[in-house]
Formats: sequence, C-alpha cells, structure tokens
Amino acid sequence: MAAPDEAMAALRLHGIAKAYGNTQALRGASLEVSRGTIHALLGGNGSGKSTLIKVLAGVVPADAGEIELGGVVHDARAQTAVRARAAGLQFVHQQDSTFPELTVAENLALGRGFETGVGGRVRWSKLHERAAKVLERFEIDADPDAELRSIGSANQMMVAIARALQDQEDAHDGVLVLDEPTARLPRHEVALLLGALGRYARAGQTIVYVTHRLDEVIRVADEATVLRDGAVVATLGRAEITRERLVELILGDAGAAIVRAADASERVVAAEQGALVLEADGLGGDGACLELRAGEVVGVAGVLGSGRTSLLRGLFGMGEEPPSGVRIDGEPADVGDCRAAMAAGIAYVPEDRTADAAFADLSIAENLSLSTLPTYTRFGRMDGREEKAGARALMSSFLVRAESEEAPLSSLSGGNQQKVILARWLQRRPRVLLLDEATQGVDVGARAEIHGLIRRAVDDGATALLVSSDFEELVAACDRAIVVRDGRVVADLPRDQLREDMLNAAVYGQERHA
Amino acid sequence: MSSLEPPVQAAEPAPEPIAGVARAPRRSSSSSSGRVLRLMEANALLVLLVLTAIFFSVWSKTGDTFLSSANLQILFSNQAVTAIIALGALIPLVCNEFDLSVGAIAGLAAVLVASALSGGLPVPIAILYGVGIGTAAGVVNCLLVTRAGVNGVIATLGMATILDGVVTQKTGGQAVVADIPKAFTDFGTGNTFGIPRVAYAMVAVALLVYYLLAHTPLGRQIYALGSNRAAAALVGMRTRLVLGVTFIAAGALSGAAGVLYVARAGGADPNVGAGFTLPALAAAFLSAASVKPGRYNVGGALVAIFFLAVLNNGLNLAGAQPYVSNYVNGIALILGVGLAAYLHRRRSGTSSAAM
Repeated sequence: MAAPDEAMAALRLHGIAKAYGNTQALRGASLEVSRGTIHALLGGNGSGKSTLIKVLAGVVPADAGEIELGGVVHDARAQTAVRARAAGLQFVHQQDSTFPELTVAENLALGRGFETGVGGRVRWSKLHERAAKVLERFEIDADPDAELRSIGSANQMMVAIARALQDQEDAHDGVLVLDEPTARLPRHEVALLLGALGRYARAGQTIVYVTHRLDEVIRVADEATVLRDGAVVATLGRAEITRERLVELILGDAGAAIVRAADASERVVAAEQGALVLEADGLGGDGACLELRAGEVVGVAGVLGSGRTSLLRGLFGMGEEPPSGVRIDGEPADVGDCRAAMAAGIAYVPEDRTADAAFADLSIAENLSLSTLPTYTRFGRMDGREEKAGARALMSSFLVRAESEEAPLSSLSGGNQQKVILARWLQRRPRVLLLDEATQGVDVGARAEIHGLIRRAVDDGATALLVSSDFEELVAACDRAIVVRDGRVVADLPRDQLREDMLNAAVYGQERHA
Repeated sequence: MSSLEPPVQAAEPAPEPIAGVARAPRRSSSSSSGRVLRLMEANALLVLLVLTAIFFSVWSKTGDTFLSSANLQILFSNQAVTAIIALGALIPLVCNEFDLSVGAIAGLAAVLVASALSGGLPVPIAILYGVGIGTAAGVVNCLLVTRAGVNGVIATLGMATILDGVVTQKTGGQAVVADIPKAFTDFGTGNTFGIPRVAYAMVAVALLVYYLLAHTPLGRQIYALGSNRAAAALVGMRTRLVLGVTFIAAGALSGAAGVLYVARAGGADPNVGAGFTLPALAAAFLSAASVKPGRYNVGGALVAIFFLAVLNNGLNLAGAQPYVSNYVNGIALILGVGLAAYLHRRRSGTSSAAM
C-alpha cells in the first residue's frame, strides 16, 4: 500500500443533488475535506446540511453526484450504510448510541464483538486490557470498568468516537463525521471534547464536524463549509473563520442585514395589547425573564439543546428545581409540581405524544375526561352518559374526526389524536397553554386546524407559548417569538419582525454574543 | 429535470381517487364484518364456557352428575374463594402490576381467623380481623412498591414467601379446625334459594369491584395508569397514590377471601394459601380476553373463573387424574397472558416490537 499522500483530500463530494418531492434539498453541493483537519459543516434550517450528511451515511439515496474517499470514487446514488462503513466513513451521532449502564470496556467491545474463550465465555481480562489500550490511545481519562454514565458526558462522547475508530489501524485512514456532538453536553464539558478532537486531528484523523454553534467552529475548525439553500456558498480557511463572516454566509446578504435589525429590536418589549397573564423570572440557571399577555401566541425558537423544552417543563412543575417568581394574572403562582401548575391554570401539551400524552388503548371519551374527572363525578360515581356527551361536544368543537367517542385513541390519525390532547387541556380553560412541538408528525390540514384552535383559546383571554423547530410554523402561528439559548431568553422578535429569515438570524446571530 | 416534472405531476392526482374508491368499500365492509368479529372476540370465552358445559352435560361419562344440583352447587361454592382472590389480583393488574401475594394473604387470613374463632372471637369481629390482616399486608406491598421502589413482582413474591413462613410458624403445619362457630360454617356450606350462600358473597364482591373499576374516578385513573404512566402523571394524577391503593385493595379482598374460606371449609389448612395464587392470576389475565377485549375487567374474570372451573370439574367427574387440573390451569395462564397481550397490542395499535 502506498503511503497516504498528505496533500490529497480525504473526502471529496461532487455535485450532490437530492430532491424530496418538489423541494430541492441539495442542488449540486461540492466540497473537499483535507486529510488530518477538522472541517466544520454549517448551515441554517433548510440549508441541506442534514440531507448532505444523510447522503454521505447512505441513509437517503442521492439523485446525482459522486463521493470520493481516499482517492476512490463512489457513485453517490448507490451509497449505502454498509458501503459508507467499508469506505472508512464513521458516524457518531448525539449521545444515543452508547449504553450508560454498561462499563466503558463493554461499550467499546459492543462496537466490534466480544472476545470469547472456551464455551463462549467472554474473556474479561482481554476485554479490559484492550479497552485500556484504546482509552490510552484516545487519551480518555476513564477506568475501563467504570459505568459509562459515571464518566461525564464529554468522556462518553469520546468513548463513542473511540468505539467508531478503534479498528482503524492508521489515523490517516477514513473520515470521522460528528453530528452535533455537543448539542447535549453541558458547557464546561464542551471544552474537554473540543480539546480531544484537536489532538485527534493533529494525529492525522480527518473530522467532519456538523454543528450549530459558531463559537465551537471558531475554536477548533481548520476549515468551514457553509451551506445555504442546498448549495455550498463558501469554504473558509482557518484564518478567514470569524463569527461575522460565518453569520453572513449562513444567512446571506439580506439575512445579515436582518441580524443588525434584530439586535436593535431586542430591547423592544411586548406591545401594548392584552393584560399580563404570565410573568416568570428565575427560569433556568441564569434567570430568564418571561412576560406573556392575554390574547397572544408566543413562539419559542432555539437550537436543539437550547433549553426550550426545559423552559416549558419548568413552568409545568416538571423541572429539576421549580421556578420561583411565577405570577399568573399578577398573583404569585405555585408551580412546584404538575398538580399545582394545573391548579394555577397552566396546561401542557408535551413534545412526545405517544410517550407522554396519549392513552392509546383508552377511548377518546376517556382520554378527554381524565383532566377533569371531578366534572363528571356525582357522589363518587362517574356519570358515563354525561362524560360521553361531553366528549361528543368537545369532538365537534375541536374538529376531531372519529367513528365514535368510544373508539380507542390509537384508531385516530396523528392530527386527530393531537386535537384530542389539545381538547383535553383546553376544556379546563387554562390561563397559560404550553405547547411543545404541537404539530409534529401532523398533516398540513390538521396543522392549520390546530393553529386555529390555539388561536381560539387565546382569543378568549388565555396566552400560549409554542415551541417549534419549524420556523415556518412559528411565523404562521405566533404573534411574536422569543429565542432561547442555554435556558435563557436571548431575543424577542415582535410581530413585524417575525419572519423565517429573522428567526434564523436571531437564532444564529446570537452566536456573536456568546 | 424539467422534462421529468410533467409526468410526475400527471401521475400524482391519479393515486388519490383510486385510494378514495378503494378505501370507502373497505371501510364499510370492515365495520360489518368487524362488528361480528368484535362480538365473537368479546364472547369467545363465554361461548366456550357454554359449549364446555353442554359437552359435560351430554357426555356419557359425566352427563349424569354434571348437571345435578349438588354438583353445580359444589362448583359455585368451590369457586367463590378463588373468584374473590382473582378480583383482588385484577385491580393491580389493571395498572400492569402483578400481585403474587394474593394467595398467601388469603392463606394467612384464613389461618389467623380460624384460630381466633376457635379462641372464641365473635364472628363479626373475626370477619373484620381477616379483612384487616389482608389490608395490612396490602399496605406493606403498597409501601414497598410506591415508596421503596421495589419491583411489584419481587415485592409481592417476597411478601408471599414471608407470609407462608408466618403461617407455618403459627400452625406448626397443623390444620386449624376446632371450635369454628356453627353459624359461621352454615353460611359457608348452606344454600339460600338453592344457591350456595358463598356465591352471593362472590357476586357482591364482583359488583363492588366492577363499580370501583368502571364507575368511579379512581377506577378510571387505575385504567389510565395501566395505559400510560408518564401521561397519567402529566394530566395531574397522583400516580403513586393510585398505584398504592390497588395493592391495598388486592390485600383487603384476599383477606376477605380467606375469611370466606374458613366459613366454607370449617377451618384452615396451612398449605392452602399458595395454591390460590396461580388460578386467580390466570383468571385475572384471561379477563382481558372476554367481555371487554384488550382490557382486564370484572365480567371477563368471572367468565374465566367459571370456564376453568367447569373444565376442571368435568374432567374430574370423568375420572381424570388430579394432576390434569395443573395442566389446565398452566395452559390457561399462558394462553391468557398471550391473548391479553395480543388484544392489548391490537387495541393500542402498537407493534410487537414495542413490547
């Protein structure tokens, strides 16, 4: 085998195109990753960044293009997960691929199989020995016999990386793709991981680093490629990577102007409309402050791991420490747990309907009445007839399409199930409606109906907080939006600035203040 | 690219009407045949029960005795104790918790009540005593599961083992039979209007549990807990309280069953308790196979109890060896669990992978 040519690109993508229906996600994206470098891949929502990674991993087939790895050209249309692996592409996603209850050594062995002796017995000493070597090679400060969850999240990510790379004989072979590796890491752990990545790259490892976080790119990337609207807009060298330049490239010329406008608007506090319904300070560690008025739907934008979900869960008494200083209609409210939050007039539609909201095998009527059982109780007995009548009324009012109120919830489509969940809460006439990804996995028609139902509720004097990773939805459904980062409210976009490009600007533009 | 677009657009509207046409008749046919299917499903075990009963009534080996009033009376009174224990086990089972201590609790209550009665304790107080013992054991189960966080199967298995030890220690392995008040045993063995009195007790308990599960907010919450524990907490239910109550109710009913056993048998055999657990759990599991398919329910539990009883009784009359009933109960337990899981999956629309 010839010695690897240091100058040769480790990975070259050429003319990758991919369309989903009428949407062109990638329009001939090309890029080149030099050997032994950390190459950052950036882009806003809808830039095609995720699609590019999926094509590379063989998860979705490309429509056109070539992938060149170590000088060998592959057809991007024929890329599969097996071929990606065989060609030396290793992917490490967020912390979902490790086993917290197993030891470090076991986690490493699960990537390649256990060494067994007579009778299929695992040779633990050998396993331990090899794990120790791998840990040493990747400079991970952990005991092979420690449970993975006990070694800190940056070390866990490094174990996942080591597991992916352990069989690679030479650091110069292959390409490691890291997809948002720091999204779920606490701040102080990020430096630890970035330091390790720098060391691996200096040893010759090629790393493609996909992230939303500009400060990390500035800290570790040797090169940075920015995607926008399905095409590569630029690849910057080490010296050119600055926050301003990256923001400009991610947002385009028009977007960059908006960032400046958004900055100026940050201090503009909510308009004159309704009376204050919810006031909350002391949310999260850094004391986010939140004011919601009657009749408004406020969007919450932020990247994954920005604390948008914990913001809602905190308000519903599900946080690690209950927020203090919550006032509803000017009165101090106790939101120490779910029951207290409900009593205070808060309703919460969680992100994961199947796991946290749906009673799949119970009937629609039963699903609806569970939040207001006392309403249907007479002298300790449930009035089944009244319960069903109530359910029928709610179903017609909330546009739930189903055979009957006695059909199991699981027989409904996702959109109709979500409307049942919404009706379950809105029948209580809450003052504050918290919605986390309320239209995820819901078809377009039902989505519009759900937005209408939310609007109807706030028109009656309630207020709503709507988390969505879909900026289009935030624009369509909200009166204004706040941007959350590290559990803090870092920007507030009033109605006249609530556009997708503005949200992109506010979410990514904030990077400059980090 | 642009040359590709027209055919794509032309092809797109086409599937829609086809799907629409195809869907309409399928839905209507599925609702009529589906109704028959649902009815069959809801009553399959009941039909099987009737068929088994008819079979044993006409089969030459059992026909003479099976339908005799004496045999039917024995059949009903023998099942009353098991049925009440099954109804006890049913309540935690609705929220997906197995109480393996129901039989042992009944056994302990029986032994202690029998010795208290032979020691001269008045009957009404003895009844309360028995129910109290069961409740106390249920409270311990409740605390172990909801406060100490012990897995329900383990907690109740441990409880069952300990209670068996208590029974053996108390009795030295000897049955307690002396000096049980006659009025008490009369209730256990006598008939009113030709129906065993213990059967009335069973019906009363069944109505009580049915009312609790089907017509009270607590019952609704128990079903919700069994359906989705995380969601139950998020609609503001006191999940630990509800869960705990189911174990306490199971204990109380098992205690009551123990009292009834003393009245029926005129004493207490220290070895009898553990034997109740399996048939009772089998019936509780099988309850999800009938009346309200996919849901553990009182009507289904009674159908299951009598299906098993008729089967065992008929085989007994036909001269089958006693071990045959072990086969029957074991197979019923496995079938019951499998069927319940299958119907539940169908109802909640999840695949087997979700298990």
